[in-house]
Amino acid sequence: MGNKQTTFTEEQLEAYQDCTYFTRKEILRLHGRYRELAPHLVPLDYTNNPDIRVPLSLIVTMPELKENPFKDRIVETFSEDGQGNMSFNDFVDMFSALCETSPRELKTIYAFKIYDYNRDNFICKEDLRKTLNKLTKGELTPEELTLVCDKAIEEADLDADNKLSFADFENMISKAPDFLSNFHIRI
Amino acid sequence: MRRMSMFPDADPAHAAFTEDAIKSEMENEEQNLVKELVALSTTDQIRKIRELPMSFKEKKHVRTQVMEFKSSKQSHQFTRLSDCSRNMSLSIRRFGYSIKSARQTLELWHGIMKEIGGKFGSSVLNYFVLLKWLLMFNIFSCLINFGFITIPLLVYGHTPNITSKVGFRGLELLTGAGYFNYTIMYYGSYSNETLYGLVDYNMQLAYFFTIAVYMVLCGIVLIFSMASSFKKNFALANPASNNAWQLLCSWDFSITNERAVNQRKNNLRVQLKESLSEKAHRERQTVSEKLKHYGIYIGSWLLSTSLAVGCGVSIFYLCQYEDKAVDTETWSLLQEAETLLVPFVVSLMNMVIPLFFSLFNKFEHFSNQRKQIYAMLFRNVILRMSILGVLCYYWMYMVPQKFTCWEPMVGQALYRLVIVDFIFLMLGSFFGEFLRNVIGTTLQPRLGVPEFDVARNVLEIIYAQTLAWIGIYFSPLLPVIQILKFFILFYIKKVSLTRNCQPSQRSGRAAQMKTIFIFLLFFPFFVGALSIVAYTAWSLTPSEQCGPFRGLNSTFSVIGEWIDEVDKIPGSEWVVWIYQNVIRSEIFYFLVTLIILVIIYIFWQLTQGRKELIILLSQQIVNHTKQRSAEHSNGRQSHSNAVVQVLLARQQVEEEERRSASGVPVPSDISTSDAMMQAMLARQKAERQDEKFYEIPNEHPPSLDAVALSMAARQRAEEEDEYWSITDFNQSNPVNRFGMQARQRAEGNREDEPNDALSPVSSVMTQVMQARQRAEEEERGQSTRAPGQNPAPSGSSALIQAMLARQQAQNEYDDGY
Repeated sequence: MGNKQTTFTEEQLEAYQDCTYFTRKEILRLHGRYRELAPHLVPLDYTNNPDIRVPLSLIVTMPELKENPFKDRIVETFSEDGQGNMSFNDFVDMFSALCETSPRELKTIYAFKIYDYNRDNFICKEDLRKTLNKLTKGELTPEELTLVCDKAIEEADLDADNKLSFADFENMISKAPDFLSNFHIRI
Repeated sequence: MRRMSMFPDADPAHAAFTEDAIKSEMENEEQNLVKELVALSTTDQIRKIRELPMSFKEKKHVRTQVMEFKSSKQSHQFTRLSDCSRNMSLSIRRFGYSIKSARQTLELWHGIMKEIGGKFGSSVLNYFVLLKWLLMFNIFSCLINFGFITIPLLVYGHTPNITSKVGFRGLELLTGAGYFNYTIMYYGSYSNETLYGLVDYNMQLAYFFTIAVYMVLCGIVLIFSMASSFKKNFALANPASNNAWQLLCSWDFSITNERAVNQRKNNLRVQLKESLSEKAHRERQTVSEKLKHYGIYIGSWLLSTSLAVGCGVSIFYLCQYEDKAVDTETWSLLQEAETLLVPFVVSLMNMVIPLFFSLFNKFEHFSNQRKQIYAMLFRNVILRMSILGVLCYYWMYMVPQKFTCWEPMVGQALYRLVIVDFIFLMLGSFFGEFLRNVIGTTLQPRLGVPEFDVARNVLEIIYAQTLAWIGIYFSPLLPVIQILKFFILFYIKKVSLTRNCQPSQRSGRAAQMKTIFIFLLFFPFFVGALSIVAYTAWSLTPSEQCGPFRGLNSTFSVIGEWIDEVDKIPGSEWVVWIYQNVIRSEIFYFLVTLIILVIIYIFWQLTQGRKELIILLSQQIVNHTKQRSAEHSNGRQSHSNAVVQVLLARQQVEEEERRSASGVPVPSDISTSDAMMQAMLARQKAERQDEKFYEIPNEHPPSLDAVALSMAARQRAEEEDEYWSITDFNQSNPVNRFGMQARQRAEGNREDEPNDALSPVSSVMTQVMQARQRAEEEERGQSTRAPGQNPAPSGSSALIQAMLARQQAQNEYDDGY
């Protein structure tokens, strides 16, 4: 199968294959996509692990992410600096966690992080309100927003502390079989 | 640092770590992780590394550490052997990766499916996935049929001695009769001899076993996929949590089309508004309305069943009417074309009658969309099953009596059905989608652009596959036709979808629908096809003059003959024994069925027990958290007074109570002073419940406590202004007002409360008891359960005294919680 490519060393490719759910071809294709975002910034040759980060504003222009209401949160969650500037490693990691073969547990962990806007390890009412705003284009009235968020917390909160901890979230996800196929971005 | 901490309730007061401490703890964790990973096998290691919720750099770091650890461990031992084994496992893994890559290039339609999924969502994608899956079935069948039946015949067999008297006329492609009758297309042309080539190839056994093994394999694959689908999508699914689900799980991340995204957002908003307003006015139906509804339901069910039965009967009479010629060799063109009448009518019925069903649907009102889809599916299934059932009856009973070589006739009939069904599928796509789109956009803009009707389309391809499954026995090359049909259908549907349809507006539960589809594929359709084929093989006499089973009593007797032959080979008595006592004996099947029933019953009881356990455990979680938060609130205040604990605990409970009792939103920034008043009310309620439980005369008039509490609350409010940050709380009036209210309510009527306040109240009582216990212990100066709790100020207010007095009174009635 040995294609002649000079983007990565064999060891790098093996590391990518071992640590993500992608095959060799997909990783090379991903590199192509990554480079498309900022051709002047991203070098063709990654053999010496250059430390290049593509900013958030460019990454969310990808067609897979452009229309997603959570695009900013997704990119921020997977970026190492938490601000949305992604290196290629983060890029691959993001699409690997969101791909079809990624297991439910991993997706649950990242979904929790994405919905947790204030990063306090809880999904509180404020987080839910922001989520709901993004999902409905901000066209619900504030009372309706509050009502829906309250009901959502009531349904999912197991330990009655008025916010969703990871255990509550995981419990709810385990009962939603659609989650795996919904929380999936095809690249 | 993105590592997820799974224990978020670490007390922030204790987070006084230095940087070095944090670093060393992290390294410690990493070392533990590496040690854990090294102990596993390589595939497990890789799987675990991939599942780590860490950034890529960290994963790579862990991986290098694991590899170093392993290599250093192994370098002490047999170096060459370990090198060898390591290289081998490495090359096996590389091989696995390259196979995975290769499979991806061969994967059919990957790009198209991604596009469809991105634009239309997963429910429409389910249709195409199912279509591809069925295509795989047919490809497999075609390969084994060619490999085991047709090719040996072609290579080594004799040409059939009945040649066709008519040449190839174009009509054969449609009717399958005429010239095709004597080709390898049908059962009739297969010989029953043993071919002598490289090996002695018994055609009879080959034919029988190929078909049988294929059907059994199909069944096994279907059962497994159905079971795993059920487990994932039904057993573990909770249909009750609607809002949380809509908010957090229902958004389809793979949709990339802007219009689709906007439509989904709109739809979600509409659904949320609907569900909010539903709570406000639940439909209260009068008896007459209910009767009317039920009448309509029953009426439409009766009507649809009678339609289905009527169709079946009419097909039967049509078959009989059409059945004239005995000698199939001298059909004229017109007569041959007439054979197309029955398939034409069948397909027409299958296309038109569901329109009637959807008309009925408009009059019925279903409570949710899913029930509507289920009802429609059920009716369509009944229609198609009844038509197929009648046809099969006709083929099994009437045709063998009329024709000497009857299997090819049945094969031809099935061929015609398949071809005409294909034509009608294309027509249906044309009318259903293209014309409907034209009408919807130009003539009647109100209708709008159509959505892709997943359920109807899925049912059509399931039906098509059933025809192929029935037909495999009679016409081994039918899967070839089916492959072509599905292949072309995929592209037609894809083009029609992208041109004519809009994305589905409701974000439905696609996974559950997929399970239902697989179940439908298996249960009426595959099982039906299998039973027809099995019945043919078991009970019907094969025709005398053609086909591989000519001259035998039944197809199955091939096995009997084979066993007789095997008997002659020495050392194979066990095979014969198995045949006689296991396969042919009824006791065996009876016993197996009995054992399976017992096992099912045991598993069912296990499931019931687990459900109860789940309920118990969730209640435990709730209790545990309440206790924990009560303790926390203790630790956080300097004025950690037992009473304040109680008040805070009651505040929580009271919020809960209010939320559960009425749908009124609880403002989230409820000021704690209000909470104290509410806590008082809760306490009054608790008292009342208390009294109801124990039926004691009231020793302390509740008014005394109310006033004492209100006084104390006012005191507290004045003292702890800076803690509670009361902004515009008018301190005197509401306190008195609530005090009066509480007194009134306590003195007032003691009507029965609705019982739904029972459980929060009982936990209120638990809290009260615990708080009182703590107060007791505090007074005695012992250390309490809650850590870091400061002792009560020695100048205990009237409040504490009131509490203690009450406590003593209650101790007489203490049940010992």
